[in-house]
Amino acid sequence: MGQLGRFGLGYEIASKNRPKVHEFSIASEIWRSVSQAAAEHKARRVRSIAVEVGSLNLIEDEQLRFWVQALAEREGSPGVELKITHIPARIACRSCGEHSDIAPSASSHPHFIKPGMSCPACTSSDVRVSGGRELRVVTAEIETED
Amino acid sequence: MRLFEATETGSIEIQIGEDLQAKQEELAERNRRFFQERRIRVFDIAGSVGAGKTSLIGEMVERLSPKYKVAVIAGDVATTHDAQRVTGKGATKVLQINTGGMCHLDAGLVARALEQLPESGIDIILIENVGNLICPAYFALGAEARIAVVSASEGAHVIEKHPAMFQSANIVVLNKIDIAEAVNVDLNRPLEDLKALCPDMKVLKTNCLAGEGIDDVLKALEIV
Repeated sequence: MGQLGRFGLGYEIASKNRPKVHEFSIASEIWRSVSQAAAEHKARRVRSIAVEVGSLNLIEDEQLRFWVQALAEREGSPGVELKITHIPARIACRSCGEHSDIAPSASSHPHFIKPGMSCPACTSSDVRVSGGRELRVVTAEIETED
Repeated sequence: MRLFEATETGSIEIQIGEDLQAKQEELAERNRRFFQERRIRVFDIAGSVGAGKTSLIGEMVERLSPKYKVAVIAGDVATTHDAQRVTGKGATKVLQINTGGMCHLDAGLVARALEQLPESGIDIILIENVGNLICPAYFALGAEARIAVVSASEGAHVIEKHPAMFQSANIVVLNKIDIAEAVNVDLNRPLEDLKALCPDMKVLKTNCLAGEGIDDVLKALEIV
């Protein structure tokens, strides 16, 4: 059928089939956090979860949503809504002192890209990451027993 | 898209505010305390696939095991090859973690491996991280120090391409120096890049297969 062997097609297949391990392990952490808090509030079920995800985590939203929903469904909260707020990557320039938001190049595979990191103000590459790696579970909407 | 069934009961919003990044740090800190309480010296050996991590660990075990009780924890996506290669060199215990897909070890996996170690009597633990110069840089295991192994055959620009890894290291081992010329790599470039990136970094040159430079590595780690 298709011609495997051209780099492009091989990469596509590899990319679709790669274990979405970052998304799964993050989803596990999110669900653990929410289900603990929900239990403390004697929740019957969780309706929605709001998270903040730094863009340098290079998370695929749909994959993250899929895994959170799969874990939630297994524990009695089917159809939980996941609201994702993206926190932009931020760099602090050691040369000129500027703080800037940067956009990583678009790719769904964290191993193949490295965000271009140079200061937009002075073009120096002597920068450090000051934001964009966040992973926060902010709030959840729950239904209680009463 | 899923439809929510309207329910009689209302729903309430609860504040959670959990920082999952901090959770990773907490797990690493827990490991650190575990090691400190038992006076175990622990080293995280990281580097690319084929850089020489397992060879370095094998050499270290051979030299250390007459005097110390050494345990090795090897991490890989799959197979037990690395653990097998280190067996029979005198280590008290050799364990293999298979991550099943995750591209780095994390403090949680290490904590679970620690449960398999004898209660007492281990002096040194050598942890071999998954072969990868990228992701492991962002996951502290709770070790005393990280040894980043990089080899001549990874190209002259390997340091510049992986700044986070080398900045996260305490010691850099530049391995396979014997074949640099054969792979057309001028070792001055990675050495200069390391000096520029982390000026105070201890850099040791080795040929692990021939057992050269290993004693200097042990000296740099202050293992007498």
